[in-house]
Amino acid sequence: MKGFLQYIPGNSILHQLSPITKLALSVLLCACAFLSSSILYISFLLLLVLGLSAMSGIGRSALQIFSLLLKLSLILFLAQIFFIREGDVLVRLPLNLFITDEGLAFAILIALRLMLSALPLALIITVTPMSDLAGAMVQKLRIPYKYAFALTTAIRFIPIFSTEISEIIEAQRARGVNFDTKNIFKKIRLILPLCLPLLVSSIKKTEYIALSAEMRGFALRNRKSGYKSYAFKGRDLIALLAGVFIIAASLLINLP
Amino acid sequence: MIIFDNVSFSYGKTQIIEKISFRVAPGEFVAIVGPNGAGKTTVSKLARGLLRPTSGTVTIDALNTRTTKASKIARTTGFLFQNPDRQICQNTVRDEIAFNLKIQGKSDDETTSRVEELISLFGFDPNASPFRLSRGERQRLALASALSAKPKILILDEPTTGLDYRECMKIMNLIKSENLAGTTVFMICHDMEIVSDFAERILVIADGRLIADGNPDTIFFNKEICAKAALLPPQIAELSQRLGGAYQGIRHVDNLFGAIRKNFKGEATL
Ligand SMILES: Nc1ncnc2c1ncn2[C@@H]1O[C@H](COP(=O)(O)OP(=O)(O)OP(=O)(O)O)[C@@H](O)[C@H]1O
Ligand SMILES: [Mg+2]
Repeated sequence: MKGFLQYIPGNSILHQLSPITKLALSVLLCACAFLSSSILYISFLLLLVLGLSAMSGIGRSALQIFSLLLKLSLILFLAQIFFIREGDVLVRLPLNLFITDEGLAFAILIALRLMLSALPLALIITVTPMSDLAGAMVQKLRIPYKYAFALTTAIRFIPIFSTEISEIIEAQRARGVNFDTKNIFKKIRLILPLCLPLLVSSIKKTEYIALSAEMRGFALRNRKSGYKSYAFKGRDLIALLAGVFIIAASLLINLP
Repeated sequence: MIIFDNVSFSYGKTQIIEKISFRVAPGEFVAIVGPNGAGKTTVSKLARGLLRPTSGTVTIDALNTRTTKASKIARTTGFLFQNPDRQICQNTVRDEIAFNLKIQGKSDDETTSRVEELISLFGFDPNASPFRLSRGERQRLALASALSAKPKILILDEPTTGLDYRECMKIMNLIKSENLAGTTVFMICHDMEIVSDFAERILVIADGRLIADGNPDTIFFNKEICAKAALLPPQIAELSQRLGGAYQGIRHVDNLFGAIRKNFKGEATL
């Protein structure tokens, strides 16, 4: 999980777009995922997103997030596929379970929708520094800085927590705890005590962050406080037009 | 016995440790020094088998760390992390010290007596919550639990950082007495006074490379190495160096004073 959901510096178009454009584009893609009910079109958009990421040098993170989403959507897929009983039966299974063609199509659609709606949002994090995301949200979307800060801090904490957990596990291994056991119950019993140091350190960390933000004049910050401006450039316009085109296409095109 | 044989280590593509070789004999007291970010903690984790070398081999107590489970090495080796908070995971000081012993399957009687011994040695309140202790107290608690199973080898990452002078001396004397009883000590330390007073041998690491390996006298009197590794030799070493001649290499105030007094016998009174 190294580097998961972490900003990767770069100079690609995706990096250069305004954070607001990127947010808007991912919202548009998310909308497409639910407006279109074409498996082909949604797959095409997914491929487009993955292709763009590869071109922007974040292909590896994109694949990492994609494979995580794939696992999640597999659960969704399995949950759906047996519940739809209309259509022609394709496969009959024991326990009166069967898979129909409509069920299969719908389950695939749901899984693809989940992936397309989450992937671009997750990818924003890898191509946008958190401070820019927060800054642009405050300046352009007029979101109070408090909330923008809370959101970006929460996202920033994901990789911090994952390293923290691995360091705590390392410390316990140093004391002689053997985590290599195959027995799942034994493993849970070993990992449970680790929640304590993690909990303590995260509560402490949030307290320290709140204090240190307070000390540095957090409350004084207003909308004009950012030292960067997030101008809307020509490339943002083009990107947004492309987004609008994609969403229009999702309404107009009637692919299977 | 700790043996590094041509050990390199990298995190991803960044090389942290480059071709380090040395061996630490049983019963030695070795200090690792070097600037921040030099790779000292990485070397200690490699020695303990928490990290595995990218190339080369690390052997600790005749076990190759590449093929040995990190938990197995715990039977012979005590380890103190630079950040003690990672290892603290129990609700009371007593349970925290007992944890290592229980993990290693020691009997209840043995555990209890050893825990009581350490509690009185360190002067802990056995029922206090470890998470409420001050930073220095948590550091001492982590050290106590590292010592609990009477390890043959002690690997300590900055054991005295954040302690007051008295605690620092108490702990160093405790470590020294373990060492005199036969325990190998492998200690990272930024305080050259402590290194000079306690270590028999110094490994100097800078930029992931071992740039010097020798006894404190030769290291502290080597200006080039000290500059390279940002070391400030203890003042007493500096003084005896400047006095030159027979005084060179004396690192203890009493000894230097004695030597000077002997030389000036009859002519001056010191
Ligand atoms: N998990 C990690 N991933 C990537 N790089 C790391 C990781 N841990 C340490 N490093 C890098 O390895 C280098 C050596 O780190 P190390 O902790 O060994 O230094 P150190 O000599 O112990 O420093 P200090 O005196 O500050 O404790 C540093 O440049 C650090 O940035
Ligand atoms: Mg260190």
